[in-house]
Amino acid sequence: MKGTKNIVKKELTRVFTDKKLVINLFVLPGVLIMVMYSIMGSLISKMETDIKTHIPTIYIQNAPEDLDYIIDAVDFEGNITYISSKDSTTHIKDGILKGDIDLLVIFDEGFIETIRSYKDVGDPIPEVRTYYNPSEDYSNAAKGNFTASVLHAYQQSLLAERLGNIEQLQVFYIDRDPEAGIIVDESKANGKFLSMLLPFLINIMLFQGAMGLGMDAITGEKERGTLASMLLSPIKRSEIVFGKLISLGILTSLSAVIYTVSVVVGIQRLADGAMGAMTNIQFTPVQIVQLFVMLIVLVYLYVSMVSIVAVYARTQKEAGTYVSPLYILVMLGCIMTMFSTGGVKELKYYAIPIYNGAIALQDLLVGELTMVKFGVTVGSLAIVAFLITTLITKAFNSERVMFNA
Amino acid sequence: MIQINELTKVYKLTKKQMMEKKTKKNMVKAVDKLSLTARPGEIYGLLGPNGAGKTTALRCIASLLKPTQGNIKVKGYDTVEDSQSVRKTIGFLTNEIKLDPQFSPRYMFGFFGRLHGLDERVIEERREELFDYFGIKDFQDKKIEELSSGMKQKASLAVSLVHNPEVIIFDEPTSGLDIITARNVTDYLKHLRDEGRTVIISTHIMTEAEKLCDRIGIIINGVLVLEGTLTEILDRTNTKDLEDAFFELYKIHNKEEE
Repeated sequence: MKGTKNIVKKELTRVFTDKKLVINLFVLPGVLIMVMYSIMGSLISKMETDIKTHIPTIYIQNAPEDLDYIIDAVDFEGNITYISSKDSTTHIKDGILKGDIDLLVIFDEGFIETIRSYKDVGDPIPEVRTYYNPSEDYSNAAKGNFTASVLHAYQQSLLAERLGNIEQLQVFYIDRDPEAGIIVDESKANGKFLSMLLPFLINIMLFQGAMGLGMDAITGEKERGTLASMLLSPIKRSEIVFGKLISLGILTSLSAVIYTVSVVVGIQRLADGAMGAMTNIQFTPVQIVQLFVMLIVLVYLYVSMVSIVAVYARTQKEAGTYVSPLYILVMLGCIMTMFSTGGVKELKYYAIPIYNGAIALQDLLVGELTMVKFGVTVGSLAIVAFLITTLITKAFNSERVMFNA
Repeated sequence: MIQINELTKVYKLTKKQMMEKKTKKNMVKAVDKLSLTARPGEIYGLLGPNGAGKTTALRCIASLLKPTQGNIKVKGYDTVEDSQSVRKTIGFLTNEIKLDPQFSPRYMFGFFGRLHGLDERVIEERREELFDYFGIKDFQDKKIEELSSGMKQKASLAVSLVHNPEVIIFDEPTSGLDIITARNVTDYLKHLRDEGRTVIISTHIMTEAEKLCDRIGIIINGVLVLEGTLTEILDRTNTKDLEDAFFELYKIHNKEEE
């Protein structure tokens, strides 16, 4: 296996002595991912602040006399214009549509009189209608805030007036202290969010890394005529194949780690601390070993999948076309785990390559990956990767594939 | 020694290739029952027009392609049964096989030396000798992609000889080289012959073949139509020089093919 060692060394030297390649492959994507999510996070935060601080423009028709008092009492801020029932609301609705006006509130005529004259079931109940534009953030927020603070408070006050004691309406409480009722495995709960996100990210990043590097290392070398010089050396073709796969595996793992860390850090910034809980995740030594083995086997599988395509393709362009369906397949397998309920899955699912990688990672993150499931997953992935490697070695021995002969 | 016995190489064409070649046949015979022997201590020249089958024959000798029929033995090793031993024995050079452009000639020399199982001391000695002979030292640490085509050819030559091979197979070795470097190469090939190595080259430069080769094989449409020393070929074709002899043979055998 001296040949393999030499090829691995050469491939790694090729990448790490090329500053531009290192920057493009490892530094730039990581930085860009973090910058992108950070910018998104700051824009979202800015947008939320902007909505919160915006003073809505509201028109209220037929406002009851005591509504003003309620608005002051709940500290609701808004540019409020009161109009009578004689005034037309058409231009106000146009304004809402254009985004110039945020909300129109119409109280029924004789609103307060109707409420006060209510005696029994069947008596008329007046209505408050709100007009807003759900596609406008300001309008949406104005509707929500006005309803939740002003109208709700006004309703409570009128109920109190009607009943004398509003507490009569409360027959029982549900969870007065919601926190006290939570029974949860902290580690599992912390891993829940990650278990939805990380299997997808890890798999996609691994495949992307293998894709970018594998096509150049194999098809690119074939195209440039540099692979043939290696085929002339007195080493077994399998040594060349393993040399290529191992070097690709190392580089893919490295880029995947960088990408994944960048995405996680970026998303953490995006969520502005919402994912803080994930830092509390603690793995047992067995879980760490499981994670390490799983990642190694996944890298092996993805590198071999990309390599088989790269070997058969005549040009890098052709390789790019062939590898796209595989990329979609990997995405599909991982997306399926993002939207599953996370219940216990039958053992047979852990034998389906690609999908099993995602579900096993998901289980691992919530601490539910049994040794049997782990074994089936790793075994199935390794068998498929090994079969593909055998095919790659066969292709390396084929003059038709190597020399288009 | 190289012994080629009844070598036939047939390529299967894809539909695209059939359309490109405007043929309905899905097979093309690149080499047809070629038999020849290149002995130690001689330079054997394979002469022929483009597409005659020279490169295919050399690739078969180098064990890169498998014969469809017949067999080839290099220093007694069968190119199919014992290809690894064949590759250990030969130094192969062709324009289509290149060195990785991102590395320097020095790095590639060391890399292929290690693939041939040489230790660092031997690699260093060989590098000193070959780089000095071919004048590579001045650009040995530059990236191959930054070199001129002549410099690249020199580097490829040196790398193909890193393991001091007993059999040398060069496909148009002076192609792209200036006259001084080309002379350097042909002198080195003579030196290898004088050391008792087996050298087989392909060329379409008649004067080069006349001056360099001890025996010449003329190949047209995959068939070896004549073989012998320069004098034997001129006698058999009743011509004054190799170029005339070649055209004489080409007229006869290309007509037969048509």
